[in-house]
Amino acid sequence: MALLTLKDATIKFGGLTAVNKVSFDIEKGDLFGLIGPNGAGKTTCFNLITGVYEPTSGDIDFLGTRICGMAPNKIAEIGICRTFQNIRLFGTLSALENVMVGAYLRHKTSLLGGFMLTPAVIKETAELRKKAMELLSVVNLTDIAHSRACDLSYGKQRRLEIARAMATDPKLILLDEPAAGMNPQEKDELRDVVFKIRDDYEKTVLLIEHDMKFVMGLCEKIVVLDHGEEIAYGDPSEIRNNPKVIEAYLGEPV
Amino acid sequence: MDLVLHSVGGLSLDFSTLPQQLVNGLVVGAIYALIALGYTMVYGVLRLINFAHGEVFMLGAYTALLSSWVMGFTPDAISKAFKADHPLTSSPLNLVIMLLVAMAVCAIIGAIIEFFAYRPMRNQSRIAALITAIGVSLFLQYAGQLFLPANPPPSISQEVNPYQKVVSFVLSPAQMNAAGDVIKPQMDITVTVGKIVMLVTVVILMLALTYLVRYTKAGRAMRAASHDFDSASLMGINVNRVVTFTFMLGSALAGAGAMMLATFEGTAMHPFFGLQPGVKAFVAAVLGGIGNIPGAVLGGLLMGLAETLVTWIGFSQYKDAVAFVILILILLVRPGGLLGSNKVEKV
Amino acid sequence: MSLSKILGTRVLSVVLAIAFCFGLDAFVTGQLNEYVVRLVMLAGLYVTLSVSLNLINGITGQFSIGHAAFYMVGAYSAGIVSNAIYKTQPLAAPAYMIISMLIGAVFAAIAGLIVGMPSLRLKGDYLAIVTLGFGEIIRIIVLNQNQWGGSYGYAIAPKYQAGWLIWLLAIICIATCRNLLKSAHGLAFLAVREDEIAAQAMGVNVTKTKVVAFIVGAAFAGAAGALFGHMESFINPDLFKMEVSFLVLTMVVLGGSGSITGSVLAGATLFILPELPRIVSFKMSLGLLLSVLVGIGVLVWMNRKFMEKYHEPDKLKRTLVVAGANIGLAVLAVVVGKLLNNIPQFGTTTYDANKIRYMILAVVLLVIMLLKPTGLLGHHEFSWDWVKRVLNRNKAGEASA
Ligand SMILES: Nc1ncnc2c1ncn2[C@@H]1O[C@H](COP(=O)(O)OP(=O)(O)OP(=O)(O)O)[C@@H](O)[C@H]1O
Ligand SMILES: [Mg+2]
Repeated sequence: MALLTLKDATIKFGGLTAVNKVSFDIEKGDLFGLIGPNGAGKTTCFNLITGVYEPTSGDIDFLGTRICGMAPNKIAEIGICRTFQNIRLFGTLSALENVMVGAYLRHKTSLLGGFMLTPAVIKETAELRKKAMELLSVVNLTDIAHSRACDLSYGKQRRLEIARAMATDPKLILLDEPAAGMNPQEKDELRDVVFKIRDDYEKTVLLIEHDMKFVMGLCEKIVVLDHGEEIAYGDPSEIRNNPKVIEAYLGEPV
Repeated sequence: MDLVLHSVGGLSLDFSTLPQQLVNGLVVGAIYALIALGYTMVYGVLRLINFAHGEVFMLGAYTALLSSWVMGFTPDAISKAFKADHPLTSSPLNLVIMLLVAMAVCAIIGAIIEFFAYRPMRNQSRIAALITAIGVSLFLQYAGQLFLPANPPPSISQEVNPYQKVVSFVLSPAQMNAAGDVIKPQMDITVTVGKIVMLVTVVILMLALTYLVRYTKAGRAMRAASHDFDSASLMGINVNRVVTFTFMLGSALAGAGAMMLATFEGTAMHPFFGLQPGVKAFVAAVLGGIGNIPGAVLGGLLMGLAETLVTWIGFSQYKDAVAFVILILILLVRPGGLLGSNKVEKV
Repeated sequence: MSLSKILGTRVLSVVLAIAFCFGLDAFVTGQLNEYVVRLVMLAGLYVTLSVSLNLINGITGQFSIGHAAFYMVGAYSAGIVSNAIYKTQPLAAPAYMIISMLIGAVFAAIAGLIVGMPSLRLKGDYLAIVTLGFGEIIRIIVLNQNQWGGSYGYAIAPKYQAGWLIWLLAIICIATCRNLLKSAHGLAFLAVREDEIAAQAMGVNVTKTKVVAFIVGAAFAGAAGALFGHMESFINPDLFKMEVSFLVLTMVVLGGSGSITGSVLAGATLFILPELPRIVSFKMSLGLLLSVLVGIGVLVWMNRKFMEKYHEPDKLKRTLVVAGANIGLAVLAVVVGKLLNNIPQFGTTTYDANKIRYMILAVVLLVIMLLKPTGLLGHHEFSWDWVKRVLNRNKAGEASA
């Protein structure tokens, strides 16, 4: 059974159909790419999957349960987490605390205990902190663990977002343009991080990216959207030679 | 008991006074609409609830009063003239001067408040700006308490106001039975000429505003800024000037409303008297859809009607709570307001 | 840290807190006059109010500005229940106070739940208006209840001035909020404040978090209200007007929203404002008042200019220059004021503390917002580690010198 299934997922904003009958399956362990020109509806797809918007019609199933209309935090709980294209970190919290918020999803103590700071809560907080530190080291951010998130550089913020999403222990992680604004060296590091997430942490990855070289070198399967419609599906070589895709990108080298 | 009193769910409703109440509601509503325009325009451009707008209104009423004193209609002079048996009467010109002075002074006050209190907060969070607005509002109230007279005699008042005459429209004459008892009282509407003048003035001001916003360069700049503040400034619009203009426009309208309420309705003045109309006009703006100009007018009228209807069904003591109840309901049911749009945050 | 050590510190702090409360109570009632006793109690109540509002406002980021409503619900509900049951129940007054406090807390918590509901759909300024509106509605309703004395007021029995309990409540309130911030649970609240959408995407139950913040914040305010009701034994709706809400809001803002330490300090000082006329009877002449007001305006303007334009790397020099300019300005304002007093009207018209107290509140609020919108302490908290660090730094400085 596929991990995530989109079936004819559609959403309209007033007169605009931002995503139109998009269907694809993601299998466990996939490194899946979602590409398309600006305004194609990629981010909106993420929003549908993570419950920010409810599809106007169509189905989205995760592990066999329908997740349309589920609250975003419930969806995070059953194992889908994401990063944001327009970075949404918790600005005045430290990098470490940002990651701890992600890790907090798997907490076991009660909120009442939190108000009383019971020994169990203290212990758990220390554990979450340890877990968060570990994840920071995965994305090479250990040295800035105690800096405020809003003071970090762009590339670091993007990596911090990945660590924060990883901390929720998702089965499927969605990365929205993780390489945007990074220099080539940072991109290489990022590629290693994504492979590590998939191979060492055994997550399934769905990512949006505009950098074709990056996507083609990373993803095994790719879906192409244009104007909300799905125009192609296949592995990188198929996509590269697909005339529809070339047309959509209007001569951009693919 | 006369037959016009209907009992509905334990309330006794006197339908013979309903038309009168509706007219009263309309007049109050028109004033609310005038104030609401100020909230809506400022919110449209700056996304700021200008808490101090009610205080600008209060200052407008005082300005009108003081200008009438300056023109020779001090309480002393009036009573002296009355005793000497050739009572003073003001002319419509006096009233026009009062109106213009109130509008001008309020416009200036609005611009000053914006410049000193809100402009420095432009880059801060919206909450910080809101707290500042609360601070300005408190400051003006309590400064007013120190420096302004409480409950001064009404400005060019009932006695000397040329528009104090009443006109009556009889809707249906009284009916009597054979014995001469009234079985159905006369149904009529009594309004002062002042009220009619007020309504007409409000309509004129709103037409002028519509023209200003629709067809002038400043109005276009204002609409551009309220659509997207940052882009507008990138497109070479002098946003500072737009903001000042918006504040002046809104405050001038509040000043006009204040002058009319104080003069034609003779509402008692005190430094806190901007609070209630301010709150109600704000609710009116939200009700119509904040940032939306026709919405503010609609909301104002509805607010005025709602309030008089509550009085009419016999809950006058809850008159001031109505505004908040409406506000909470509208925000929960249709946060964008009646004519506004519900925007979803883009992620 | 080991479990036994944690428990040890915990027991120690509880004992200390209780000892502090009773010690304070004994000292205050034994040594000082009645009015000072009252002030000490009021300080405790306002600390509770400002810290509990901070939980909603500063920590969870839900812009509630109608805190006086919860205070009022607590006072009236506890009063009404007490009048009904106090005579027939077996507890003595001090023990009964705890019950009464819980009653106030429960009713206020229910009000908090109701007010918190809109926060699920509304944000920022809209929420602010709704909370303010709720406060007014509640007040107007009570005002029109003749059985509760309407605008005249409502007598509450028993009259009991529970200084120890008031301060215990304040300490519990502080401890609760601080505990929350020290645990991972607190991060959920902070995350909601920072970015709701991101928080929800990370699995934070935003609904629950907001509602809990409102309920807990309101409950503490309600408990404070109950104690206030018994302390005054006669309350009326005017005691819970918007001004009270704004006063508490000013405390939170002044201290730095999000900083519990800041709320405590601001609560323990600003509560004086409404009491001002009863503490000092000063008169201010019109001339002086005007010149001080203008002086404050210039002060704000000047300090903003300093912040923008004056970049002196030498910290000491900078501090001296800024402080000097401010002190000079203050002196100038007073001198000008005295000179203005020579103009007949300006010298003879005077205003007493009663008249200018809320003006002071407004000016404080404006000055903070214009000069330091993050408040005095920003997000910082007092901690012993910090004290240690400062002491060590000083020692290091001495050693090197
Ligand atoms: N909340 C919304 N309301 C109205 N329109 C929206 C909303 N969210 C997205 N859209 C519209 O849907 C379309 C697709 O947007 P989307 O953000 O998904 O594009 P994208 O593929 O992620 O593009 P980019 O590469 O620029 O990030 C755009 O035209 C956008 O304006
Ligand atoms: Mg996108």
